Amino acid sequence: MISRKEVKAYSAMPPVFEDITCGLASAPKLPKPMVKETRRVIALARKFNKEVVRPYALELDSKLQASPDYIPWDFVEQANEWGLYTGWIPKIFGGKGWNMPSLAYFIEEIASECLAMANLVGVHYLGVSTLTSTGNVRLINQICRQVAAGEKTHTPCLVSLATTEPGAGTDAEEIDLMDKGTMTCTAERVPGGYKLNGTKVFISNGHLSTWHMVIAYSDTSKPSENTVVLAVKTGDKGFSFGRKEQKMGQKGCPASELIFKDCFVPDEYVCFSPEQIRSLKRTVRETGMQMIDYVVSTTRAGVGAFGTGAARGAYNEAKKFAAETEVGGKRLINHEWAQCMLAEMLKNVMTARLTYVEANSANGLYGAFRDLQRKPMFYYYRLMPAKFFDKMVSPMLEKAFMTKTFRRVQLDGQTDEEIHRTSGWASLSKVAATDLGIRNCHMALELMGQHGLRRSYRVEKMLRDAKLLQIYEGTNQLNRLNIFKCMIAGDCPQAVIFDE
Amino acid sequence: MIAGTDRELKMLDKASAEFARKELAPERQENDRYPDAPLFEKTIKKAYDLEYFHMILPEALNGVGQGVAALCVILYNICREDSSLGGLIFTNAAAQELHIAAGAEEILKAVTEPADSIYNFLIAAPVFNNPRDMDNAADAAMQDGRYLLSGRVEYTVAGNIARHAVVPAKTEDAAGCSFFLLDLSSEGVTVSAPIPSLGLHACPAVDITLDRVPCSLLGQVGEGPQYFGKMAGRMSAAAAAMSAGIMKGSLTEALEYSRGRFQGGKRIVDWSEIRMMLAEMAVKVKTAECMVSRISQGIDQQETGWQEYAEAAAIDIQRSACGLTTDGIQVLGGVGYMKDFGQEKRFRDAKHIQALLGMVPTKKLRLIEGMFR
Repeated sequence: MISRKEVKAYSAMPPVFEDITCGLASAPKLPKPMVKETRRVIALARKFNKEVVRPYALELDSKLQASPDYIPWDFVEQANEWGLYTGWIPKIFGGKGWNMPSLAYFIEEIASECLAMANLVGVHYLGVSTLTSTGNVRLINQICRQVAAGEKTHTPCLVSLATTEPGAGTDAEEIDLMDKGTMTCTAERVPGGYKLNGTKVFISNGHLSTWHMVIAYSDTSKPSENTVVLAVKTGDKGFSFGRKEQKMGQKGCPASELIFKDCFVPDEYVCFSPEQIRSLKRTVRETGMQMIDYVVSTTRAGVGAFGTGAARGAYNEAKKFAAETEVGGKRLINHEWAQCMLAEMLKNVMTARLTYVEANSANGLYGAFRDLQRKPMFYYYRLMPAKFFDKMVSPMLEKAFMTKTFRRVQLDGQTDEEIHRTSGWASLSKVAATDLGIRNCHMALELMGQHGLRRSYRVEKMLRDAKLLQIYEGTNQLNRLNIFKCMIAGDCPQAVIFDE
Repeated sequence: MIAGTDRELKMLDKASAEFARKELAPERQENDRYPDAPLFEKTIKKAYDLEYFHMILPEALNGVGQGVAALCVILYNICREDSSLGGLIFTNAAAQELHIAAGAEEILKAVTEPADSIYNFLIAAPVFNNPRDMDNAADAAMQDGRYLLSGRVEYTVAGNIARHAVVPAKTEDAAGCSFFLLDLSSEGVTVSAPIPSLGLHACPAVDITLDRVPCSLLGQVGEGPQYFGKMAGRMSAAAAAMSAGIMKGSLTEALEYSRGRFQGGKRIVDWSEIRMMLAEMAVKVKTAECMVSRISQGIDQQETGWQEYAEAAAIDIQRSACGLTTDGIQVLGGVGYMKDFGQEKRFRDAKHIQALLGMVPTKKLRLIEGMFR
């Protein structure tokens, strides 16, 4: 009926088979214990919500409304006690090593109660995943083990990512725009390291983090080929915090200004530089973009989980309200139009979730989660005692060849098609789920009338919080262009991107 | 556009736009901090002195008697900069309209004629709840020939800054609620702290608890929903004008920002996706302005079917404002989400105003009910 050759040819026609079957292809490859572990992670999130998040969410928001400079150390300390800052750090680096896709489920749960608190946990992993994406095994091990030590000593050690600059938001996230943009954060090569100058803005968790992954440029006339990632520690000479932004929502999660004035970063804290990656198969510029894609392929799927959480939180509150309230003399939930609105909202939640699950299936097959989810590696990490990694493996990670090997496997091991597939799906999830999150907040407010306007009914806060999801991790406009670049442009050789 | 060619309206348009630009825009962020910062009493007083609170009230009742079109012009301009003042003017006008709908002009006159300050002139009201939607009424009991109110009325706008309030209450002898005017300084009145809410922070709402508080019945017992319906018909245009003003303010700020911000080596306005977003916003603004102008004129001239047009237009403009203000933030990116610009407040206020005069779905259903009649 159809020959092998034909199957191959037809499967390669757009949409390419691999692009539309990530979940299907990933299922048989997944280690079975991942399901049980994910169930446990979701249960943990629900317990954390019940005991910590829900009772404190409105209070924290009100506290920040009255005192915008408040820093929520109290929440961070609790999250640290619950082990949330090491949960998704691999065991080899001193963490608990929970499977990576379970982080998105966890985030959805927390976000369904409070997006700010979900961000106080989730953004730490944005910093960690940036660090991981540099492939600098020695620094990954060193910093992640400090995070683990912070858990044991009850002194939270968080990691942030500092990318956005006052004159460059979108430009800093896309290599094709970078060289035309106004990047001003410079890393000047000096003996023994780099001298860092410039300002970063809107840095989530900035004031709360111990380590900051700072993206800077050794030559701002050609940033795409001169990107460096520096690990800067709070308290380092020449580094200070500026203003804390006053946001519409997600007030509990600080957005900080980071100021660098002749801040010396020694070579040992250079996570990534053009010199370090010249031996890889791609050019410096291509590897720079690959690294960005490597990070955003996981974090944008994470924002998809935030959006799903927002959609779900609004749905939950609307459902509760509809069940308890009479409108026009009968229960709101017994009006057919209200039933259809709730069904539409549930549809939005489910649809949003499917997008991040699919994006993470792509990450498991082709991206950042691939090595951790290979069955032999998975069981190796799972079954070996933590002490083995601490005593035997950790010292090995200090060796330069480990970084070299890790980078070759991680970066050279990924094809261009795989980069596009993971990055495209992540953008798709980010745009779809955050738009649906906003949509559900609007619907909930419409269903609840004047009650929805009150902070005590929670939905107005959800709307304020959710709006940020359409902006950070690349605006939804940039993400749409990335979807075009990764999933459409390949079908149209005439297409030109970021150059109209 | 909203003022049309009418000379008086054009003068009012110019004056109110200037007032908003000078008095409201510079203090927008600070005023929005209420109740964590003081209420902008001076500005409210100035608006009162300019008779913005008297606009729709007939001259015989100590008002200006300019009609709905004039009120729309003022609200449109004020809400371009800060909708909180718009919310107060709207609430007061709605309370006055309830009196007129009930034929209770004399009761209203007793408030407005001796009033020597905004506090004495302003009438609070729960303008976000249509009594046909949810039960938000006190209980009225007759004693010695007068009504006494007990119970709780939620989300009464301006209840902590006005001397009087119009509230719904149930009586034993009628199925529908009735409206009553009460003096909030009376014994037995307890007013909550301002309710933290989505938008219109400086247009505070409070919960009022009543314990045998004397009051005056407006019109007939049990006719409250009908009076509210009449009032809502006219005030829909005013609510639509508020949303249109927010839309215009959001577009103006987005245009200004997109001309000055660079991305990828050129002004963001020169990227066609941003240009398309701005174009979509402009289409919505122009359409909204056009509709507000037409419906306010239709109401003042008592054209056939004006109420349906006004209510439909309000639903559409308010929905449009929610979408537009989302894009208004998006054009500015991260800074649009921050308090430094007006966009985030417009986003909140647009959603808040959508709930004026009742729930969105029931407003739509009532429109179609009217068409089936």
